[in-house]
Amino acid sequence: MKTLTRIIFTLVFLINITCAAYAAVGCTLNDPDRDVKRLFPQSTGYKTSFITIKEKGAEALKKKIEEKLKDTLEPIYENIDVPYAYYAVLKGKDIIGYIHGVNQKGKYGGMQLIMATDLTGKILNFYYQKMSSPEAKKFMDKSFTNQFIGLTLDDFMKGNLSVKDPSQDSHQDFQATLRGLRKNLILLEEFKPAEGNSR
Amino acid sequence: MSLKIRLIRIIVFLMVCFSFRAAHAGETLFYKEVNLIGGYSDRDRWIGKSSTMANSLGFEYYRKFSGDYGDYLTADLQMRASYDSKMNSHQAWGLQIHNAWLEYKLLQAAKLKVGHFDPAFGLEPVLDTHATLIQTLAEEDIGFKKDWGVELRGSLPKFDYETALQLGSGMSIRRRDGSFLATTRIGSPAGGNLQYGLSLLYGEVLQTEGMRTFPKNKLLSDDTIAKKRVGLDGQYLYGPYLFKTEAAFGKNDDKDVLGYLAEVDYTLPRYQNWEFELQFHSWINDLAERSSDDSTLTLGTSYKLSQNTTLRAAYSHDFNMTGMKEEDKIVMQFYYFGA
Repeated sequence: MKTLTRIIFTLVFLINITCAAYAAVGCTLNDPDRDVKRLFPQSTGYKTSFITIKEKGAEALKKKIEEKLKDTLEPIYENIDVPYAYYAVLKGKDIIGYIHGVNQKGKYGGMQLIMATDLTGKILNFYYQKMSSPEAKKFMDKSFTNQFIGLTLDDFMKGNLSVKDPSQDSHQDFQATLRGLRKNLILLEEFKPAEGNSR
Repeated sequence: MSLKIRLIRIIVFLMVCFSFRAAHAGETLFYKEVNLIGGYSDRDRWIGKSSTMANSLGFEYYRKFSGDYGDYLTADLQMRASYDSKMNSHQAWGLQIHNAWLEYKLLQAAKLKVGHFDPAFGLEPVLDTHATLIQTLAEEDIGFKKDWGVELRGSLPKFDYETALQLGSGMSIRRRDGSFLATTRIGSPAGGNLQYGLSLLYGEVLQTEGMRTFPKNKLLSDDTIAKKRVGLDGQYLYGPYLFKTEAAFGKNDDKDVLGYLAEVDYTLPRYQNWEFELQFHSWINDLAERSSDDSTLTLGTSYKLSQNTTLRAAYSHDFNMTGMKEEDKIVMQFYYFGA
């Protein structure tokens, strides 16, 4: 009992001793080397950086993101401590684009939405790294994901979307995809990784 | 100064150093870890650990190193100060080093890793079982989950490969009787809903007991066991279900051995922070001998209280542990990993 008390005391102490730690990472590429080369064949390298809402503006930024998203951030999976991974894609020393992903709650479980964007924030590519839906094949098919190429955050904000739900019974996952992509583009705009702390 | 005080001081010192560093670098991640575990077994009565975990506190420090032309080096250090309530006070505390590696990017499709990491065999290198009550076959198959050595790994358009040469000693750094472990795994690209792999293992492996790195865990024999294996593994995500399986066949010295595992995980669609797991695994120590298998059925559940905190529980029934009677066991875990 004495030992247990010591352990608990020590743990509480450790939990409070540091203030700069991060929570588990939001969404990282499973294999950055292969994914970066596939999405940007002309690339020669990439730089990884981790950014949180907390460090970029905390509660005020969270509120701003929620306003743009027109939805509240989920307290467990989208809290402000979650670090998002940004991959600045390089050709030589120059940044030619970004790859970034988000986790999004779907009908049956989490999905991971990865997009490649150019320096202006236009979508160059989009794919599901993880998709837990019985109709996953329809969502992951390029005939669906390619419809997002060329879109920007502006298009999501103004509703300039002509993408149709590819599923029969998973409309909730389609809606979740739109929310996740919108969130991803909002975070890109707010985080401005080009000015971030990766370099 | 007692060992436990020294270990706690080391952990606290490293945590403060690394977390201070983390505050200034977007290339760095730092996590604190708390693991409280306890349960009841009808064979051993009250227990304060599972097969791979004891009460512990620790951290993980992860960093990407970049130059003008991009990332070139990754570092990971993950360690725990653990307490085993079954041991006497001098032996109860120990330092476990789990991940301790540097990975240098040689080419687009080749990276060289040095340190302490998963052998390239079976499901273990593609799953994160660091904190889970339900484990893969690795402990029974190889004898440990991580080992010291070097690895070459990379990804090609159609498959991933990794090949490792390690000491064959597991958690502690030691070499006896010419011990070594060579492993190779070739698998489908990570991340798809369907993943599978083929693995090979060859080595002279030391048999140890316990998860400590310092002081060294117990060496059960000065002699190695000659191990040869071929293994298959797979995972399939379908809706709220995740199916996992692996099988390994080969030799331990002159004995033919076989192991297999089947697991299904189910995430409740309405409450996605709640998951159930059902696993059956069996390890046959000598195919020529009857009743030489260790077979266990486990029903587990995990509930995510927050991004950082998870509660887990598992009930397991051991049908036949070689040389021991059947056992029913329930284990509960409080796990914190984050800020």
